Amino acid sequence: MTDVHTPREQAAAEGEETVSFGIAGTDPDATPASTGTGPSAGWLRWGWRQLTSMRTALVLLFLLALGSVPGSVLPQQGSDPAAVQQYYASHPALAPWLNHLGLFNVFAAPWFAAIYLLLFTSLVGCVVPRTFKLAGSARTPPPRAPRNLGRLPHSASFPSSLAPGAAVDAAAAMLGGQRFRLRRPASGDSGHWVSAEKGYLREAGNLLFHLALLGVLVSIALGGLFGYKADKLLVEGQAFSDTMPALDEFHPGRLVSGSDLAPFSLTLDRFSASYLTSGDSRGQPSDFNASVTYSPSPGAPSRTYNIRINDPLSVDSAKVYLIGHGYAPVFRVTDSHGNVAYDEATPFIPANTGTFLSDGVVKASDASLGFMGVFVPTAVSVGGTLESAFPAPDFPAVSLIGYSGNLGMNSGIPQSVYQLNTAGMTKISGSPRLMLPGQTWTLPGGRGAITFVGVKQWVSLAITYDPGQVPALVCGMLALGGLLVSFLVRRRRVFVRAVPAASGSGSVVTVGGLARTDASGGFEEEFAELAAELAAQQKPEPNNQSEAGA
Amino acid sequence: MSVNLGLAQVSGDFLVAAIVIYSLAVIGFAGDFAFGRPRRAAAAGATVASGERAAQLATVGAAQGTALGASAGAAEASGVADGAQAVPAGAGTGGTGSGDAGSGDAGSGDAVLPARQVPALRAIWEAGPWVRAAVAFSALGILLHVVAVVTRGFAVHRAPWGNMYEFVTALTCVAAIFFCYVMVRYRAWALGVFVMGAVVVALGLAETVIYTAAGPLVPALQSYWLSIHVTAMTLATGIFFVAAVLGVMYLVTDRYRARVAAGKAQPGNGLLARIPSPAQLDKLTYRTVVFGFPVWTFGVIAGAIWADQAWGRYWGWDPVETWAFITWVLYACYLHARATAGWRGRRSHYIQLLGFASLTFNMLVVQVFITGMHSYAGVG
Amino acid sequence: MFRAKRRTVVTMASVAAVLLAGALVVTLTEGSGQASGVTYVGGDNSQQVYAAGHRALAPDFTGTSLTGTPIRLASYRGKVVVLNFWGSWCAPCRAEGPTLAVLSEQYRSKGVSFLGDDVGDTTANALAFTRDIGIGYPSVNDASYSIVQDFSRVASVGYTPTTVVIDQTGHIAGLVIGKISYQSMTTILNDVTASR
Repeated sequence: MTDVHTPREQAAAEGEETVSFGIAGTDPDATPASTGTGPSAGWLRWGWRQLTSMRTALVLLFLLALGSVPGSVLPQQGSDPAAVQQYYASHPALAPWLNHLGLFNVFAAPWFAAIYLLLFTSLVGCVVPRTFKLAGSARTPPPRAPRNLGRLPHSASFPSSLAPGAAVDAAAAMLGGQRFRLRRPASGDSGHWVSAEKGYLREAGNLLFHLALLGVLVSIALGGLFGYKADKLLVEGQAFSDTMPALDEFHPGRLVSGSDLAPFSLTLDRFSASYLTSGDSRGQPSDFNASVTYSPSPGAPSRTYNIRINDPLSVDSAKVYLIGHGYAPVFRVTDSHGNVAYDEATPFIPANTGTFLSDGVVKASDASLGFMGVFVPTAVSVGGTLESAFPAPDFPAVSLIGYSGNLGMNSGIPQSVYQLNTAGMTKISGSPRLMLPGQTWTLPGGRGAITFVGVKQWVSLAITYDPGQVPALVCGMLALGGLLVSFLVRRRRVFVRAVPAASGSGSVVTVGGLARTDASGGFEEEFAELAAELAAQQKPEPNNQSEAGA
Repeated sequence: MSVNLGLAQVSGDFLVAAIVIYSLAVIGFAGDFAFGRPRRAAAAGATVASGERAAQLATVGAAQGTALGASAGAAEASGVADGAQAVPAGAGTGGTGSGDAGSGDAGSGDAVLPARQVPALRAIWEAGPWVRAAVAFSALGILLHVVAVVTRGFAVHRAPWGNMYEFVTALTCVAAIFFCYVMVRYRAWALGVFVMGAVVVALGLAETVIYTAAGPLVPALQSYWLSIHVTAMTLATGIFFVAAVLGVMYLVTDRYRARVAAGKAQPGNGLLARIPSPAQLDKLTYRTVVFGFPVWTFGVIAGAIWADQAWGRYWGWDPVETWAFITWVLYACYLHARATAGWRGRRSHYIQLLGFASLTFNMLVVQVFITGMHSYAGVG
Repeated sequence: MFRAKRRTVVTMASVAAVLLAGALVVTLTEGSGQASGVTYVGGDNSQQVYAAGHRALAPDFTGTSLTGTPIRLASYRGKVVVLNFWGSWCAPCRAEGPTLAVLSEQYRSKGVSFLGDDVGDTTANALAFTRDIGIGYPSVNDASYSIVQDFSRVASVGYTPTTVVIDQTGHIAGLVIGKISYQSMTTILNDVTASR
């Protein structure tokens, strides 16, 4: 990052060495120089200077922010594919264009990657040379003290009873005691002065911050390569082993295969949810608890755990989180011969997350029957429509529409368990049938019967493994630490010059101070303190003294 | 444990009282503008030097002639102390007394040391009756505000930032406290009208539009991370709030100064002439953002840790997460702009205000209207 | 001078490393896993046959059949076993069922036993399936996928349906991911029954 500024112009005008901190060179506006080997090298150099200039960093940062905006206002494929489908349905002309631009998957889009990759390239291209510079500056001494210290942003002067050489020695001793790095005049130099510099840590903190950001990026990549995320829906009483066919969704990193899954097994013993029953927030959930029994590997002893929302289960290398829950009414379907064709707790998906009115289907292929249903945990009739008044199963009911015929499952084409393909089926006559637990609906025409046995609950669990998680956290904390250091530490220079006093005895000491970027402020106070201490140290003569600072 | 409705009522009452007292403070600051002492150099804590020195320095200061020097001089007149100027008392409003003290007098033998600041209480006293009243009311208002926040916390048996109303109440408290610290440290009484005025408006909105009755938290928020993540975000938002107000003030005064320099407006003794110079405001804004940026960074990291605990992943580009990231990047943009030629000044403040706009958008629009996992605002 | 050149080299190398790593990351982490809301996946019909000497040992299991009788894989030693992982909720399983039924009859005399592994099902649903499709051979109740988990550590049992062919010594000789075809199964079975 070039810091293009020109106190050096002023210094040059006075014929003095640069005392300010401007880094000479690399002006991004300069045209390609024809140094080096030919014009192409010059263009490359120009391009490189452009890429690593602060202006480019600024533009790229701004683009990064701008590019993230569509990722938050448009539905994203990665987190909510159903919403993307809905968007297609409601904006049929616009949606394909947005898709071409990658706006439904912004954070995995190549153009977004290009922005942050360019940014990090620019970052590395700046940080590495500056690291060298820092190492170098740690070895080079501070510059000579300028002749006229009064031109510096902070300066002070006071008389001293000591001779110039001794006065400067005393000042140097004091500054050295405060861990400034000092420079004294070489044998050939005239005048009595000392230069002091401190605060190299600031740049180190700055570099650490930027490198740590790079570390965060690498950690995210690590997680993306070696980690995985999986989802599983479990009904109370059900068990599952952590293996690929058992999972509802499995998103492995590129270098992950199914055999990398942690070999645990887990049973959902019971799920309990409590809701507020009175007051303004009636119906608001107050607690969720999934009690599970699990075994870390086949044959290992079982343990129990209560998984709660902010309390995941750690098993082997993976973590199991409680993500959601719902109701699974239990149905038994008998076919026309009276044989049981279906007997299972059927997960229904909540359509209303406040009242838990839920939708689902029952697919009894072996009886050639299918049902679409609406389940309500606390049934209430609102103008003839079935609604739910409260999310707890105080008065459960289900309303079913029946279909008979071929469900199409024997053809082999995969179907969602939450959708019924009614093409090729005929609707069973009668309006939606309302059923309470224990009731049986005998279908007309001897097609069979369906019994609403009872209600169970289901939970959805997320199983995740992310090896980049801890490195990302460490890098994040390092970045924060570097940031704080770079803001709190200020790189500053203090110069002290002494010239013989006009009266002949003693000397007049001038002190000048300069801070590069004083982010947190406070150099003025520091300088004031320093000047007062230096003055106090010098034992001034009593007569010529003006009132010293408070 | 159920909500203590009595305490919740007490909290609400204290908040209303705080709003009333803050309003009185705003009136006090406004009164200082209209009727207060024009000279603030005394309050700026100058060293008393001889009259001749004053003349000498005044000549030198005029000769320096940089815009910075002139505006720094005017800044002295309007009472922003930068601690290290040896400015004599009695300097008028006309740009005397440059910021560089002690130039070129190496042989005179007098001690010219940078001034040490007058203690804060004395500075407040010397600023005049309006400022005294305004600062007193501000302090009282902050006390009431803190009581309101704390009693709300006791009423609901948890950290009192679990929904939008509580969040706004808490962040305005942080803003008020932080602002008062800035104002006293830099003796910038003129900022009072604007920042405290903004606090009053925000609290008014909180009481009316965003109000949510006290209640328990949904299970997803029942975690000690609430105290860490949301506290950090509350603090950072309060700090950035102050920075935004200062930024707006900068843009207004900078434009005014440019118009004066171009001869299109009179450099009077009015409102705008009493506000600290653009250079001072710029520096103050920078330091405020510098203070808030690490807090925001920490808040985002804490949020990521909590997200991993609750949802199984530390970053999922949830809309609120994304906008917190956008806000972070924009403030990083501002910090980079301040180190880039041609981007300091007005442009950097535009960026900073854009960052605050994104923060506000995140808080008021994204959390409420865009569905994601962060929909805990409790509004609507 | 030399130092400046070394600095440039280091800088360029770091930048190149970042770019390369970044490009790799972006292309490789495009998510290869199937991201579906469907509760099972229909496989891609790939088949694998393993030559003798390169066959993994099939993990032994004990369980109960759908009708309640005990089943143990080791008791099938000496015969070729076709182990089919299926569920009544799985459409491709329903489609391949009749083929499996036919094959089980056809190869019975050749020393091949067919065995089902019923996953993610209730017993009632599974029995309705076997009755309806006409599966005569027994199936072990593996509602919690624990047998699948054991197998997935030695073979790529990642989808439902998957069919594993185990030779007479109890080693995995062949694998079909997804719905089987009559052709592919006869080829594999002829191969395995011929070699000893």
